Amino acid sequence: MQALHTAATGMAAQELSVQVISNNIANLQTTGYKKQTAEFQDLIYQHIARVGAQASQQGTILPIGIDIGGGVKVVGTPRSMTQGTLSQTGNDLDLAINGEGFFKIQMPDGTFQYTRDGTFQMDNTGRIVNAQGNPVQPTITIPQNSTGLTVNAQGQVSVQPQGASSTTSQIIGQLTVTRFVNKGGLLPVGNNNFVDTPSSGTPQDGIATLEGYGSISQGSLENANVDVVSEMSNLIAAQRAYEMNAKVITAADQMMQSTTALFR
Amino acid sequence: MENALLIGLSRQSALERQIDVIANNIANVNTAGYKSDSTLFETYLNTPAHEDNFVGSDRRVNFVQDRGTYRDMTQGPTQETRNPLDVAIDGSAFLVVQTPQGERYTRDGNLHINNIGQLVTAAGNPILGTSGPIVFQPTDHDINITPDGAVTVVTGTSNTDSLRGALRLVSFPDAQKMLKEGLNLYAAGEGGTPAPDTKSTVRQGFIEQSNVNAVSEMSRMMEVSRAYTQIATLMQQQAELQKTAIQSLADVPT
Repeated sequence: MQALHTAATGMAAQELSVQVISNNIANLQTTGYKKQTAEFQDLIYQHIARVGAQASQQGTILPIGIDIGGGVKVVGTPRSMTQGTLSQTGNDLDLAINGEGFFKIQMPDGTFQYTRDGTFQMDNTGRIVNAQGNPVQPTITIPQNSTGLTVNAQGQVSVQPQGASSTTSQIIGQLTVTRFVNKGGLLPVGNNNFVDTPSSGTPQDGIATLEGYGSISQGSLENANVDVVSEMSNLIAAQRAYEMNAKVITAADQMMQSTTALFR
Repeated sequence: MENALLIGLSRQSALERQIDVIANNIANVNTAGYKSDSTLFETYLNTPAHEDNFVGSDRRVNFVQDRGTYRDMTQGPTQETRNPLDVAIDGSAFLVVQTPQGERYTRDGNLHINNIGQLVTAAGNPILGTSGPIVFQPTDHDINITPDGAVTVVTGTSNTDSLRGALRLVSFPDAQKMLKEGLNLYAAGEGGTPAPDTKSTVRQGFIEQSNVNAVSEMSRMMEVSRAYTQIATLMQQQAELQKTAIQSLADVPT
């Protein structure tokens, strides 16, 4: 009986959907997190009687056929790359991108990773680094004992050097932001970071606010774009769908049982 | 006497196929753009087995046969996702998908952008616009899809919208003839020619959900399961009857 296997595909798909939803809810408070959804597609059909086949020698054709579907599969768990809301922190090195683009982080092995999480700190040498201590690109070193760190919307970092008057400010660097043709194709690697893939396209570095890049806002962080209410309703839908598929297995099992009962 | 068994068998095989269809509907209860199937039955008249003299030859027996699966093409409920690349179609139109096998049609509006900027389905097949695939430039942002399917973007620092194409919406005079191919795709089917659809509209940021009615599928499933058990009991009784008949008729007095 095909129904057993069909319902099993349904249960597997819904289980994955619950996993994705629980990950979204777990990351409700994760800075720069982008929610995922499980997308489903139906499996191939067995065309037992093909619609439009000849029904007689007079050329009449079948108006409907018999199509038996094989169930469902998860085709992907795409990420919704919509903008999250910004929350004010007042911290000098908390940056958020309002619009397109990612911060570029250099990993210890020299490769680059990309993130929307702008919770940056200063390390012991004065470099601007992320929570794992990896420098934001291009590497900017804040001079010792300088005050009044400012990052403007374009990503220009300026400070007031030690001993200078309060009106002088010195530009010490320019942050770049990186865009992708298909940001949905980025591969999540944990720690709020992504790496580029053949699907995302090559990274394009640029300056914030120019040519469609988003603007940088200092002193704020981007919240996760998870919408709790819709996640909860999706969770209910997935759980109920799972239960219904389980019921189908029970029904199909009962049918088979009644058949085996014939041979007692 | 064998007829009862055979009729029961015809009903059981029809019911088995029906539960397969129900199982597929329930498995796809959360599949975007899925259209539910239902089975149609018909009676198949046949003269009773002639070797058998227990029934009069004037009476005919009614077998049951599944004639086909009927697709419910009504629109599914739409869910708001706020994803700019999600579209739901209001009306009977389909989106056109370019696959290696040729043009296919879908109601699944989960769209994506691939590495060369093309608008594609979740399986990576390009969505066709009125003039070929819709391609975005690397500097495009703020994608907007109008109700009539025009895809506009803001490119670079410009303040005006630039057109990137228009979704091709087609409909079929007889959608029942379309062939489900899986992966949320439909083939045009025998003699089906797509006609441009101007009545349907596109809603950006929404997804059309599956139109499977979970409650009615569950009740139908129970109905099928019970009917199947009933037939099984009937067949069992029939077998019992035969057994008793053979035993008592062939009883050799000692």
